Amino acid sequence: MTATDISARPRRRKNTRPVWDDEPTRFGKITKAAFLICYAAAVVIPLWAIVATSFASEDALNRAGGNLLLLPTELSVQAYQEIFSGGALTESLLLTLLLTAGGTALSMVLTIGAAYGLSRPGSLLHRPLLMLVLFTFLFAPGMYPQFLVVQKLGLFDNYMSLILPMALNAFNLIVLRAFFMNSVPTELIDAAKMDGATEFRILFRIVLPMSKAILAVIALFYAVMYWNIYFQAVLYIPGQDTQPIQVVLQRMLMSTQGLPGAAGEVSQYQTQAPDSALKMAVVVCTILPIVIMYPFIQRHFTKAVITGAVKG
Amino acid sequence: MAALETSAPAASGRTTGRIPIRRKTTVRQRLRHDWPLLLMTLPAMAQLAVFFYWPSAWNIIAFMDYKPTRPFWENPFVGFGWFERLFSNPYFLPALGNTLQFAFAQLLFVFPLSIVLALLMHSVISTKLRSTFQSIVYLPYFFSWVLVVTVFVQMLGSDGLVSNWLLGLGGDRLGFTSNPDTFMILAWMQWSWKDAGWGMIIFLAALSSINPNLYEAAAVDGASRWKRLWHITLPGIRPVIVLLLILQLGGILTVGFEQYQLQRDAVGFQTTEVLDTFVYYRSIVGTEGASFGTAAGLFKGVIGLVLVLVANNVAHRLGEQGIYQKS
Repeated sequence: MTATDISARPRRRKNTRPVWDDEPTRFGKITKAAFLICYAAAVVIPLWAIVATSFASEDALNRAGGNLLLLPTELSVQAYQEIFSGGALTESLLLTLLLTAGGTALSMVLTIGAAYGLSRPGSLLHRPLLMLVLFTFLFAPGMYPQFLVVQKLGLFDNYMSLILPMALNAFNLIVLRAFFMNSVPTELIDAAKMDGATEFRILFRIVLPMSKAILAVIALFYAVMYWNIYFQAVLYIPGQDTQPIQVVLQRMLMSTQGLPGAAGEVSQYQTQAPDSALKMAVVVCTILPIVIMYPFIQRHFTKAVITGAVKG
Repeated sequence: MAALETSAPAASGRTTGRIPIRRKTTVRQRLRHDWPLLLMTLPAMAQLAVFFYWPSAWNIIAFMDYKPTRPFWENPFVGFGWFERLFSNPYFLPALGNTLQFAFAQLLFVFPLSIVLALLMHSVISTKLRSTFQSIVYLPYFFSWVLVVTVFVQMLGSDGLVSNWLLGLGGDRLGFTSNPDTFMILAWMQWSWKDAGWGMIIFLAALSSINPNLYEAAAVDGASRWKRLWHITLPGIRPVIVLLLILQLGGILTVGFEQYQLQRDAVGFQTTEVLDTFVYYRSIVGTEGASFGTAAGLFKGVIGLVLVLVANNVAHRLGEQGIYQKS
């Protein structure tokens, strides 16, 4: 089952029920609809409440008495002004953007190189190298040894420790390799070789331009991973002043729950904007890039999953 | 492993090994021919070597009395001493128990939920409606755990939206996000909210690869809706179910770190301690030392490895393909 023959197959269903299929019972229909609507509401309502609260003015929030509200009566962009006013929050967002951009670039270089390098079965060392990649699915080295290696490399409290240790995702590598092997015609590559093209030229001129969609999906997966970095920051850069946005968000959340844990460190984010509006505005800022990228992922996603996971 | 690469059965190493052209060339000739490919693979291999295989090798200190202050070779070997200490640690067995409990809950409740969601979604006739639902349900998969926990606290916490509604209705506040007794339900809701969409997408892809003529033929022969589900749909997605089950089983002791670490202070560590947080809090920020933490991690890694291999073997015996082909 390759990506191409899925997309080439005509849609299984048009917007009509096939003639052989009997109409489901009314009860069945209602249960189904209710279930799906509840499920969608469980995603949409919280997100809406977050966006609404982030734009609410202090008065409106005080009147609502809680942290979240569904319909802000007065709108205010004070929270967003605070975030982008150049303080600790701005720095954190910039850092996270930078990590995401740099990390994704590095990850793509590693992944594309290895996926293409391993896409020619029978090439020298092909099989052992592939085994080295696949073994990472079976075993995990453990948190402490990884921590130790980061320390030994002098990466502790260094932002590079948020990129290098997870720069390569074996699953993405295998998905991309499968795509190169199945969806890029061998004849094209052979013809290019006959004409004297080097492997690098073939990769850049033929293979990559034909794989734009899947490359976009993989890049976005990496970007989301770097954007969401939390645990590695807790583990590897506890001493840095400027932390990735997820860590900042976690500290703000802790402080409002009245919990210990980073209570003192939170003060640097305290500002004039109403507390819960500011917090929700930070949440919006962490969601927004994902929501913007999302349609692109969606468009090509099924292909990527089918080439990768559903190889049954 | 070939499930991840079965796409090209003809291309797997064993098959190509039978093509005689390459076999007669010498290594030097192949090197001259293939060096660009090797060069392209090199950065990724370097990354794997430094950040996967080197840490894997460091697991040796689980069998040594390792002190970072002295040179590596002066650390004496102590056999399985650290593992004995691990099992006599009062917090280890509860952490292991919690881990298993969370893992099985995920297997039992979240996994079937994604199948159910996929089946429901698949039966929505309107393409537009279907893709809208799909996008909504799948979106939280891309959210970080920090975000997921924030959303849950804001909605279901004691100051959350639902608490406010309850207060408005004359009820009581909801202490849901800080109640250790109901943490399992909370965790289940969080898994479902975050991850069920991902499973759903995979199962939907598997469902769309079932030949629709099968349904038509069965319907014409008088098979009911449920019969078609049982005899066509489920067997059709069985390989995917088995594959995902095996992979989940392998990661059974890796239930994640962030979800539990993030709710540790709110819910209490007794309920949320899993193996990963155990290593972090006892060994990395705690006082138990490197060898102890490494032993706990190695225990986890080896159990995971064994489980994948056993589950895969069972799958083969049951006639499934599993994650790699039988040699």
